[in-house]
Amino acid sequence: MPIAFEKVSYEYSVGTPFAHGALNEVDLAIEMGKVTAIIGSTGSGKTTLVQHLNALLLPTSGTVLVLDRTITSKNKPKSLKSLRKNVGLVFQFPEYQLFEETIIKDVMFGPLNFGCTQEEAYTKSCNALKVCGIDESLFEKSPLDLSGGQKRRVAIAGILAIDPQVLVLDEPTAGLDPQGSKQMMQLFMQLNRQYEKTVLIVTHDMEHVLNYCDNVVVMNEGKVLTHQRVSDFFNDLKLLQNMNINPPHVLYLREELKRCGFHLSDGLHDLTSLAKAIAAEVNSHE
Amino acid sequence: MNNIALGRYIPMNSVVHKLDPRYKIIAMFILLVAVFLPTGFQGYGILAVFVLGTLLLAKLKLNFIIKAMKPMMFMLVFLLVINILVLRTGYVLFSYGGFTIYSDAIFQTLYITVRLALMIMITTVLTATTKPLDLTLGIEDLLSPFKRFHVPAHEIAMMISIALRFIPTLIEETDRIMKAQASRGVDLKEGKFKEKIMAILSLIVPLFVSSFQRAEDLADAMEARGYVPSQSRTRYKQLKRTWKDTVMILITLSVLGLMFFLAFR
Repeated sequence: MPIAFEKVSYEYSVGTPFAHGALNEVDLAIEMGKVTAIIGSTGSGKTTLVQHLNALLLPTSGTVLVLDRTITSKNKPKSLKSLRKNVGLVFQFPEYQLFEETIIKDVMFGPLNFGCTQEEAYTKSCNALKVCGIDESLFEKSPLDLSGGQKRRVAIAGILAIDPQVLVLDEPTAGLDPQGSKQMMQLFMQLNRQYEKTVLIVTHDMEHVLNYCDNVVVMNEGKVLTHQRVSDFFNDLKLLQNMNINPPHVLYLREELKRCGFHLSDGLHDLTSLAKAIAAEVNSHE
Repeated sequence: MNNIALGRYIPMNSVVHKLDPRYKIIAMFILLVAVFLPTGFQGYGILAVFVLGTLLLAKLKLNFIIKAMKPMMFMLVFLLVINILVLRTGYVLFSYGGFTIYSDAIFQTLYITVRLALMIMITTVLTATTKPLDLTLGIEDLLSPFKRFHVPAHEIAMMISIALRFIPTLIEETDRIMKAQASRGVDLKEGKFKEKIMAILSLIVPLFVSSFQRAEDLADAMEARGYVPSQSRTRYKQLKRTWKDTVMILITLSVLGLMFFLAFR
């Protein structure tokens, strides 16, 4: 298993009066080549967890295994550069990391840092920008002149240009309009399906979890509450209720209809099949 | 990034924490004057005991104070070097070739070290036991008598409190941007000179952009709520003097008196 957490604990500000634990003996294995969602309430340790994946944070205790590398509290940051090339981490509101004069230069910054030549970096950056839906006419503009959504695309392209094997995204759709966040999620799906990247997404949006992700990890107070396939996860609505998670609209509709006497099976997760099932039910009564 | 101790407020429940910030500021100035009196090591000994007593009373840990002094180390080394090169009085402690170290050089450095350490301890007691906002309230009140000389007391206090308010935010922001750029392969510690400049640029430019953005947002938010600096306004938090404040001021004044006595007897 190329990504695994073994009894990982992390504590902030160790040895000061402000010390507080953020992760508590987390055991977790992430499936490669899949899209995994990480959900949980604010302060449950999601962001801390993903920052271990490219060793921005080193565990206080325990080990993290990422792509044949073992990260423990004793690792030196020096030896971690090649890891960061393979695990791309996109932060919350990544548009704040843009700094270059032009968009293309900003996207090339990552590949150049990881030892690409100018030409290689340029080709990679052009591709990444195109995948993210940034038009070539914008390449020479200042990143600060773009709209919020475009800035975020450029920032994500900045990570994609490094061509990491694993892509980790911390709330990539926060603050975007529904249209923009849908496009964003479709982009990640494309990266997963077409380029076979392992994708981890920290999110609050259950619709995204249901529609786009394969697996789901639920965090609570620094621990992994459950780790399941998405299709299984949304079948257990009691569990969702216990964790204070509002089910996606489709499931909510299905459950309400069931309560009113409709006979619908549990496997219905998308709007089309639900509509068909309702139609079948209505027809059978007429 | 989160380990900066100098000037940080430590929430505790102690007598010192509950004193009126105005009087704490006055007491700090009194004690700083006392530190600058030439009392010799004897006086500094007494002052140190007094300050350590206050630390104990404020339930502050000694290694917090030591941490606060760490940034001073560089300055002390610098001082020592200058003193060794410049001071040529006292008896010779060490001589090698044409290079000699005189006793006064060491003595002088030690003297300044003790002074600086005391000063940092005194100011740290103030900042560690007073919430930044209370501190600015205190400053505003202490400055208000100077309003008739056109000292903008309220504006100064507002600027200080805004600056203090945004220090943690900026530290957080810096930390975040550093991590984001580290994910893009930035390495602040190694690399060629040009790479290092780029690394620092990649940190500073976004920090400036977001700071200006934040300042603009804050100004808009204040204006939207009708903020006019010169307007007189009421306060939610009222500062009240108690007998404890009087006792504290009396004690610090007597410490100052003792130092005067030791310095000019």
